[in-house]
Amino acid sequence: MIQHFPVLAVMLLFLAAFCVEIFGSHNAGVRNTIVMIAATVAMVLIYALIKPVMIEGQIISYWMGNWEPVSGYAIGIGYEVDQLSLFFALLVVTTFWLSGVYSLGYMSKDHHLGHYYTLYLMLSGSVLGLVMTGDIFNMFVMIEIMTFASVALTAFRNDNEGALEAGFKYLVIGSMGSSFTLTGVALLYGQCHTLNMAQMSAILYQNLTPTSIMALALIVAGFGVKSYIVPFHTPAADAYMAAPTSVSMIFAGMVNKAGVYGMIRVLYTIFNAMDKSTVQMLIVIFGAVTMFIGVTMALTQHDFKRLLAFHSISQIGYVITAIGLGSALGLTGGLFHAMNHTLFKGLLFLTAGAVLYATGTTNLDKLGGLSKKMPKTCICFLIGAFSISGLPPFNGFVSKWLVYQAVYTKAVESGNFVYAIVTVVALVVSVMTLASFIKVTQAVFFGQCPVELKKTQEAPVSMLVPMYIMSALCVLAGLFYPLVNRFLLHPAAQSALNVTNYIDRMLGEGYAANMGVENIQVAPVQFSFWNPIVWLILFVVIFVAAGLVIIGSKEERGKMLQQGVKYDAKYATFFSGEEEMFSQVGGSDLFWGFKTDWKGYYRVLEGLHSGIVTDYAVYTVMATAIITVCMFVFMR
Amino acid sequence: MILVNYIASVVLIVLGLYTVCTKKNLIKVVLGLGIVDYGVNMLIVSLGFNDGGTAPIYQMSDLLNGVAPGFFVDPVPQALTLTSIVIGACVDAMALSLVIMIYRKYKSINADDVRRLHG
Repeated sequence: MIQHFPVLAVMLLFLAAFCVEIFGSHNAGVRNTIVMIAATVAMVLIYALIKPVMIEGQIISYWMGNWEPVSGYAIGIGYEVDQLSLFFALLVVTTFWLSGVYSLGYMSKDHHLGHYYTLYLMLSGSVLGLVMTGDIFNMFVMIEIMTFASVALTAFRNDNEGALEAGFKYLVIGSMGSSFTLTGVALLYGQCHTLNMAQMSAILYQNLTPTSIMALALIVAGFGVKSYIVPFHTPAADAYMAAPTSVSMIFAGMVNKAGVYGMIRVLYTIFNAMDKSTVQMLIVIFGAVTMFIGVTMALTQHDFKRLLAFHSISQIGYVITAIGLGSALGLTGGLFHAMNHTLFKGLLFLTAGAVLYATGTTNLDKLGGLSKKMPKTCICFLIGAFSISGLPPFNGFVSKWLVYQAVYTKAVESGNFVYAIVTVVALVVSVMTLASFIKVTQAVFFGQCPVELKKTQEAPVSMLVPMYIMSALCVLAGLFYPLVNRFLLHPAAQSALNVTNYIDRMLGEGYAANMGVENIQVAPVQFSFWNPIVWLILFVVIFVAAGLVIIGSKEERGKMLQQGVKYDAKYATFFSGEEEMFSQVGGSDLFWGFKTDWKGYYRVLEGLHSGIVTDYAVYTVMATAIITVCMFVFMR
Repeated sequence: MILVNYIASVVLIVLGLYTVCTKKNLIKVVLGLGIVDYGVNMLIVSLGFNDGGTAPIYQMSDLLNGVAPGFFVDPVPQALTLTSIVIGACVDAMALSLVIMIYRKYKSINADDVRRLHG
C-alpha cells in the first residue's frame, strides 16, 4: 500500500492541474477547492512516509506499470524514495501547501487565476517528482516542466515592470542548463546503457571514464543553473523580484532546493565523486564565491524582493559549500541549512508579499514606519531576519554554526589554507547578512512613515496564517535541533553517503556487493557549540576587520578634506563632523559608507549584472567550460 | 554509432551556443536555443544507432533460440529524442510568445534595450 504514495502524490498534482483548467476557470469556489484538496492530500501522502522511511529506515521503490528489472537490468521507469529524497520532498510539500494557502488571499485581486493555479500545481508536481524519481531521464523531464512552469509564473503579472524580461532571461538561461543536463544524460546512457540511477551508481562506482567525467561536468553545470550558484544566478534575482510573491516563495523554497538535491544526488549517489579532494575544492570555491557575491550585491539593493533574492543566492552558497566538503558533518550542516533556508526565506518572502499587498510597493525608499500599521507582519519579519542572520535561539544559528564547524574541521584535517579562508568568508558573510537585514528593518518597519502609507492595513488572515506557521517552524527547528538531526538530517546524510541500500532496494539484495560497492556506516554528527580556538580566530578576524575600517576611514577623511575631492555628504555623515549634522541618510542608504569605500568592487559587479541576456548566456557557457576543464584536469 | 554524427552534433551545439552568446536580436537567441536542442537530439539518436541494424521487434522464442540476429537499433534513445523534441518545441513556442510581448511593451527586440532589471 505505502509504496503507491509517492507516485499518487505526483499524479494527483498533475491531474488537479488539468481539472483546475477545465472546471475552475470561471468559478473561484470550485478552483480553490480543487487546489486545496490536491495540495493537502499530496502533503498528507508525503508526511505519511515519515514513519516508515525516516524512523524505520525503509526505502520505497515503485516500478511504473510493474516493469521490474530483468536479470539485473532496469528497463522500466522507477520511483525510489530514500531518506534523502524524502527530506527534500518534505520541504517541497510544506512549501507549496503554505504557498497555496497564501495565494488564496494574495492573488485574489488578479485575473486569470485558473491559469495561475494550473501552473502552480504543475510546478509543485514537477519538483515533487524530481526529488522522488529514480530514473535520470524522468528527472530531466521534470526539470523541463519545472523550468517551463517557473517561466510562465515569473511572467504571470505581465503588466509589472520587468516581468516579461525576467521570464525571458530565466527561459534562456534555464533551457541552456537543461540542454547541458540532457547532453550529460545522453552521454551517461551511452556509457551505462541504462537510465536507472541506482544501476548507474553501481556501474560507475570507482570506475570513471572520460565520457562519464564529461557527463558529470555537464550535469553539475545543469543543476548549478537550477540552484542559481554564481555565475548562473543572474536570472534568479530578476525572476524572484518580478514573480508574484507566493511564487517567489516557491522559487526560494523548492525550485532551487531541487537544484541542490540534484547536485547531491549526482555527486554523491550516481558518481561517488565526493571523495576526491579536487572535486570538493571546486564545489567549495563555487559555494564560497556564491555566498560572498550574493550578500555584497544584496547590501546595495533598493527593492525589498530583489534584496531577498540576492540573500537567497547567498544562502544557497552556504549549502553548496557545506555539501562540497564531502564529510558527514558538512552534509548534515548543508541539509540543515537547506531546510532552514526554505523556512526563513519563505517567511521573509511572505512578509515582503504582505507589505506589497498592503502598500502596493516594495521599493525600500518609499516604505517606512510600518511596524505600527502591520505589527504582526513586523514580528514575523523580525523572526525571519534573526533566523537568516544566525542569531542564537533561531534555526539559522544552529545550521550556520554546523557549516562553520564543518569547514573549519576540514581545514584542520586537510591542512589546506583555502578552507581556512572559506571559514572566514562564511563568518563575514553572516555579519553582512545581519547588516543588510538591519537596513531592511530600518527602511521598512521602523523610521518615519511616509504620508501616503498612513492608511495601511494589516494583511488578511489567509496571508498571516502561513507566516505564523513558518515563524513557529523557524523557532522550533532552532530549539529542538537534536530531534531534527536524529529524525531528518542524520538519515538523509547517511543515505547520501552510503549508496548500498539505494542500489539494493532497486535491483535486488546483493547487487551492490556484486558490483564492489562499499557499505559505509556513518556515525551521527555531534553538535559541539564551544570551541575556544574558533572563538579566538573569530575575535582576531573581527579585530582586524574593525582595524582596517578605522585605518581606511581616517585616510579617506583626511584625503577628502585636503584635496577637496568631490564632497559626498551622505558619506561624510558616517565619519562625523558639524557640517554633516543635517545631512539625511535614508533607511535604505544605511550602508552608504561601506558602499563608497568599496566603490571599485561595486562598479565591476554592477557592470557584470548588466541585464543583457546575451551577457548572462556568456557567463553560463564560461562557467560550464570552467567546470568541465577542472573536472578533466583534476580527475584523471 | 557514426563518428560524423557525433562531430556534427557537437558542431551544432557549439554553433547554437555561439548564436545565443553573440546575437543581440532576441529571436536569434531563441533560434540559437533551438539549434542547441537539435544538436543534443542528434547526439541521442546517434547513440542508439547501429548501421544495418533492424527494428527491435522479436518473439521471445526467437531470441531464446538464437534465430533473430542480436543486432538491432536501440529504441530507448529514439523515445528519449521524441520527448526532448516535444519539450524543445514547447520551449521555443513559449520563448517566441514572450518575445512578441516584450516587443509590444519595449518597442524593441534588441537585447541591449531589454534591460530594465539590472544591477
